[in-house]
Amino acid sequence: MTEQIDKALEREYEAGFVSDVESETFEPGLNEDIIRRISTMKGEPEWMLEARLKAFNTWLEMEEPDWALVDYAKIDFQAISYYSAPKSMKDKPKSLDEVDPELLRTYEKLGIPLVEQQMLAGVAVDAVFDSVSVVTTFREKLEEAGVIFCPISEAVHAYPELVKQYLGSVVPTKDNYYAALNAAVFTDGSFVYIPKGTRCPMELSTYFRINEQNTGQFERTLIVADEGSYVSYLEGCTAPQRDENQLHAAVVELVALDDAEIKYSTVQNWYPGDENGKGGIYNFVTKRGICHTNAKISWTQVETGSAVTWKYPSCILKGDNSIGEFYSVALTRGAQQADTGTKMIHLGKNTRSTIISKGISAGRSNNSYRGLVRMNSCADGARNFTQCDSLLIGDQCGAHTFPYVESRNPSAIVEHEATTSKVSDEQMFLCQQRGLDPEKAVSMIVNGFCKEVFKELPMEFAVEAGKLLEISLEGSVG
Amino acid sequence: MSKWLANAIEQASSKQDWFQPLRAQAIQSLAEITWPTRKTEAWKYTSLRAVERFKQEAEIKKLRDSVTTIDEFDAIELVFENGHCQFQQIGDLPKGLTIVKLNEASSEMQSFALQKFSSVKPKRHLFGLINDALVPDLVYIKVADQAVIDKPIRITSLLSEQAQVHTRVFVELGQQAKACIVEHYKGELECLNTGFIEYSLANESCLEHYRFALQSGKAVSIGGSHFELAECADLNSTVVGFGSDLSRLDIDVIHSGERAFAKLNAFYLLDNKETFDLHTTIEHAVPNGTTEENVRIIAGDKAKAVFNGRIHIHRDAQKTLAELNNRNLLMSHDAEINTKPELEIYADDVRCAHGATVAEIDKKAMYYLQSRGVPKEQAQVMLNFGFINELIDEMPNQALAQWLRPQMKKRFAAMKVK
Amino acid sequence: MSNKEALLTIADLHASVEEKNILQGLDLEIKPGEVHAIMGPNGAGKSTMGYVLSGRDGYEVQKGTAVLDGVDILELEPEERAHAGLFLAFQYPVEIPGVSNLEFLKAAVDAQRNARGEEAISASDFLKEAKAACKQVNLPVSFLKRGVNEGFSGGEKKRNEIMQMLLLKPKLCILDETDSGLDIDALQVVAEGVNSQRAPDRSFVVVTHYQRLLDYIKPDFVHVLADGKIVKSGDASLALELEAQGYSWLQSSKEDVNA
Repeated sequence: MTEQIDKALEREYEAGFVSDVESETFEPGLNEDIIRRISTMKGEPEWMLEARLKAFNTWLEMEEPDWALVDYAKIDFQAISYYSAPKSMKDKPKSLDEVDPELLRTYEKLGIPLVEQQMLAGVAVDAVFDSVSVVTTFREKLEEAGVIFCPISEAVHAYPELVKQYLGSVVPTKDNYYAALNAAVFTDGSFVYIPKGTRCPMELSTYFRINEQNTGQFERTLIVADEGSYVSYLEGCTAPQRDENQLHAAVVELVALDDAEIKYSTVQNWYPGDENGKGGIYNFVTKRGICHTNAKISWTQVETGSAVTWKYPSCILKGDNSIGEFYSVALTRGAQQADTGTKMIHLGKNTRSTIISKGISAGRSNNSYRGLVRMNSCADGARNFTQCDSLLIGDQCGAHTFPYVESRNPSAIVEHEATTSKVSDEQMFLCQQRGLDPEKAVSMIVNGFCKEVFKELPMEFAVEAGKLLEISLEGSVG
Repeated sequence: MSKWLANAIEQASSKQDWFQPLRAQAIQSLAEITWPTRKTEAWKYTSLRAVERFKQEAEIKKLRDSVTTIDEFDAIELVFENGHCQFQQIGDLPKGLTIVKLNEASSEMQSFALQKFSSVKPKRHLFGLINDALVPDLVYIKVADQAVIDKPIRITSLLSEQAQVHTRVFVELGQQAKACIVEHYKGELECLNTGFIEYSLANESCLEHYRFALQSGKAVSIGGSHFELAECADLNSTVVGFGSDLSRLDIDVIHSGERAFAKLNAFYLLDNKETFDLHTTIEHAVPNGTTEENVRIIAGDKAKAVFNGRIHIHRDAQKTLAELNNRNLLMSHDAEINTKPELEIYADDVRCAHGATVAEIDKKAMYYLQSRGVPKEQAQVMLNFGFINELIDEMPNQALAQWLRPQMKKRFAAMKVK
Repeated sequence: MSNKEALLTIADLHASVEEKNILQGLDLEIKPGEVHAIMGPNGAGKSTMGYVLSGRDGYEVQKGTAVLDGVDILELEPEERAHAGLFLAFQYPVEIPGVSNLEFLKAAVDAQRNARGEEAISASDFLKEAKAACKQVNLPVSFLKRGVNEGFSGGEKKRNEIMQMLLLKPKLCILDETDSGLDIDALQVVAEGVNSQRAPDRSFVVVTHYQRLLDYIKPDFVHVLADGKIVKSGDASLALELEAQGYSWLQSSKEDVNA
């Protein structure tokens, strides 16, 4: 039976192709000069360069964290190229017609057509290719509503006050090793501003693609939802199949002002490396949001890719009555390693948080939930509920749970539960006896296991996520 | 580097006796150790500052404490006075029970003991190594195969003010042997104590175990109880803790034989500025083992409670059943509870779960009691006490339960609530 | 009807739960020794009435009074209401692991005695009474040592409630759907327990959805509670009428009023 399940889990990485695009790529290496050149390429103002250099010096003094349950060869930061962009992007195409057709084809192949007529209605896309944003769709339509959705490199020029005020306000440079690195070398990413009382008229989405060899991607995303506004945002990511490991160290900051709501969904499908753990993306990401009074931030993630994942989308519940949510599905197979979870920091009164984490481990992979729930002494009446479930497929994988609970308020209530289970022979037999093939049976059982999380995804992407798991579980049975 | 540790190493290095081989290893490990800080995961919430207070040259006061009398509790009493085993008090031992003071034993016995000590206690415990290096008197307890020792064996550690004391016992239960061992640590004086006891349970043996970690006040109390379970061994352990300036306890249970059963109940209640830090590690190395663990904590006033409960299921340990339930009550705005139930699982066909809650008193239960006329304050004490009384009720030894209940109640009633 | 002073007088009681108005002008007068049945459809506010009177957290009184034996109880703490003689037999009694039934009952009895200025009862006298009460409701004496309601079956919980009533000797007992989930034997035990306590100075409010319980506990009055107030009152025959007709007529009569 285990063999059948293993077979059912074999799959090909469909996004593993390389686009034939002529790029301008920095030579590998990291020093002040490289940072100046990145800043120059982006035509940045002096204050931005200063911030980068300061971050770089901070980073030099920091140590790589080693507390996560992941094991990987030490990264040589001097062997990575910190900037790569298609040459065709140098002249900054004004419209889609001017964009290199090869780039458009790349996204089309990934199922993200950038031509507006072909697109999913109601979804605006920012497409980031290596170190630059290729195009952002539906901008005019969004502008009518007063919504700003543009590459962050552009926001630095166009909205310097907003960027200065909020960039680094949620994830300070010193926060951690990778956040400091990102602050020094980040190249592109999305900037979103939703004005007061506005409900963003469409879903916003950023699609990240690493194409060039030996490059790292260091994107930076900043979303500010002004008072009483609402936005739903989705990011997706893929990379070609290569034997070398590539680093992706992103920072995402969310600011939900009073009564605002941000829904942030991720479908992460970076190249996971081969069966033996060769190649694949190191996904070391810092994501954090701050909730002001009555605000709500909801993180939903479906993590199926990357060789190593180190990621803890978090909420600082600063305002009274604010709400934080974290819904996660993490599937690891082959030799993948994931150490992911969340932090819910309750500062305000009557703050609420919910954590639902579903980890699925197969092959020889290791999948860990690591989370922190902190009730500060002023968080009167705060509540948390956490449910961490692990599903093990096969007897060579690992599933781990490391929840930290810290309470300093007698009226706060924290509830944490964790369980582990397996796809049992009985379940498989029942499905098969009723006529399902093993593949379908496994995918059905796994999908059922993840249901609670999938229902949190925007509809279009719930379908995509379901498919992604199905692809992950698809194989050559029978 | 800790000045206290440097002194300890220096002091240990000057010792010379039969225990030297193990001591030397410990000293070497200690020399390479980094003194824990808040960044050290095992000491994330607990500061070791209180240890530095203790000076080698301090005048050790006269011992004033004595063994606690417990109604209807008749035990074989093994007493350590400031770390020195008072052997003459033991009296006649029942058949099948051997207690050996190793410093006075034959050299054959001593070399036999060298194979035993530190074979169950994991090397990772800093203070376990310190105990290895500084322990003055070692005791070996053996319960022969098939022997059933009806009388409980109580190990009491008595300390004087300013004393720095290290006690160490190795307990071996033969096949199908049965015994009850009570570890009793007490007193409120300013003193430092490391007490490590290792238990090796042979096939089908059965141990009823208690650790009363009741040192309070200015005491620094650090120690461990470590168990290795062979096939079908049965462990029923109850840990009771009061807090002190610094109290740290490590419980390790290793299932190294199949179908062993471990039940671990721990509860502690903390008041004033007390700290109690409990780390439990359950290792399932083989299939078909069972562990049931219940930990309950109440923290009031400015107390700090720490619990780290790790369950580790190794690759081969299929069909393991392991559950950890941790419930905590926080009674004051100045108190804190830090809890981390961990699961590390490498086998798929297992049933493992943990749950942890931090909550105030159940409002429904409160209302029920009030609706029957019980005043609020009294209801609160009853409910809090009930929270822990459930575990007292599960103690197999009724005399100990009877003795403990009023003490717990008293501590509750005096607890500062804010 | 007698001319005695009322034991409980509820006047124009309005109360809400989670900002939802449940009681909307409840009036009820109960004299010593009387048994009143409160019937009505689901959601009418039957259980809410018991909770409001006994002072459960989250039940907000907007308006009105409830005077028990000359004291307006709505401002009192739940235990003070109990001391005043109010007893609520819960529909779903909560489990309190670790607190033994005996310990709990003694604490309750002593607190009530204390409130009356009486001495605490001696442990041995209390044990005797408690054992007798257990016997009366057909609960094994061993239940006294178990945690309050812990692991009790539905029927055992209900009998445990009646057992508490026997020991606490309240002036006014509210039985909140005590019949729900009981088989006929358990129902009889409960009813006998109640009937044995009927006395000239003790009154009962029997809240029930079905007429069945009233075969065993004969009410003096039957009230129909709908939309948070009493819409119809009568004698025991009203219960039979309701059993035959159900509550749908309430809806139509309301429409008539609106029309």
